[in-house]
Amino acid sequence: GACRVSMSTEEIRAGFRAIKANIQSRDPIRSLSILSHPHSLHKVQSSDRCCITHQLFTFYVDKVFKHCRTEDSFVNRKISSIANSFLSVRRKLEQCREQNNCVCGEESTEKFKQILANYEGLNVTSAAMKSLGELDILLDWMEKSR
Amino acid sequence: GDALLPAPQSVSILSTNMKHFLTWSPVIVQGATVRYSVEFQGEYEREHANGSWIPISECSLTTATLCNLTEDISASVSYQLRVRAQLGATSSAWATTRGFFSRAMTSLTPPQLRVLAEGQHVLVELADMGPSFQFRVLYWKKGQESRVQQKVVKEVSSTVHLDTVEAGAEYCVKAQTHVEAINRSSSFSPTQCVRTQGDTSVWL
Repeated sequence: GACRVSMSTEEIRAGFRAIKANIQSRDPIRSLSILSHPHSLHKVQSSDRCCITHQLFTFYVDKVFKHCRTEDSFVNRKISSIANSFLSVRRKLEQCREQNNCVCGEESTEKFKQILANYEGLNVTSAAMKSLGELDILLDWMEKSR
Repeated sequence: GDALLPAPQSVSILSTNMKHFLTWSPVIVQGATVRYSVEFQGEYEREHANGSWIPISECSLTTATLCNLTEDISASVSYQLRVRAQLGATSSAWATTRGFFSRAMTSLTPPQLRVLAEGQHVLVELADMGPSFQFRVLYWKKGQESRVQQKVVKEVSSTVHLDTVEAGAEYCVKAQTHVEAINRSSSFSPTQCVRTQGDTSVWL
């Protein structure tokens, strides 16, 4: 369904840009992808976009960020900034769900199941770091689908 | 150990134009240098990370009684801050801000602007206030207050040119800021008026 959410991906992107190299250096398995295996997010139909965005923001808030604590204070602060921004955006997406503008079709349900399977196929810290390292894949997809 | 060193008092957040600072009163110990450490907790930490606190390294073991929070308070959620005093191995209890702070609570001041007439053009110079800020410039021909024109400036370039102005007329200008991230605007700046140069062309 149609769901209009005002958000600044630029703030999230700026936070991620500052730690991207550090986070991706902690991900030894570069051949695997959590978000893009086997199919890219770009294949998701527009009618399913709101639902999968909400599912992905919930995935990052509930599963990813909490397993990304590092020994680096700067990195931890940027992860906090991103996590809190995700929380703020998810709240807006929830309002769309309550107004029934965020219906989950079969495709997004399947796609999200695949992402969870990719995630649970790795040990939790590796999976969390890899997911965080793929944040720009999510942000690029969200901006392209505006 | 800890109980000997009193916690900082008067802990408060000062926030103007999306710049946020924590301040507190100094803890006085005769003949000693007391240091302070600051930590923050966003809604994510409170609800999804077991209420964990995150230290701000620039304000760890600092002698200052002020800490810049701007980089860390960068999401539209509610935050709490805390500070403690440290003297050698002794630490005070944490002093935590009362209530929550959200960046939407920042106070927004009108922009600083300079209005110039340059020949038959009106130029507006706006002071840069950082990436969060847009500007809404209103202008009108003096005496025609009902026919106000508007220009929205998203990126501050050094000078804004106002369109469709007549030669030899007096124009008045005022502006306000707008912050998209919190969807709020400042009040308007005082109005400034200038007269454009008269038409100097001569029929020959």
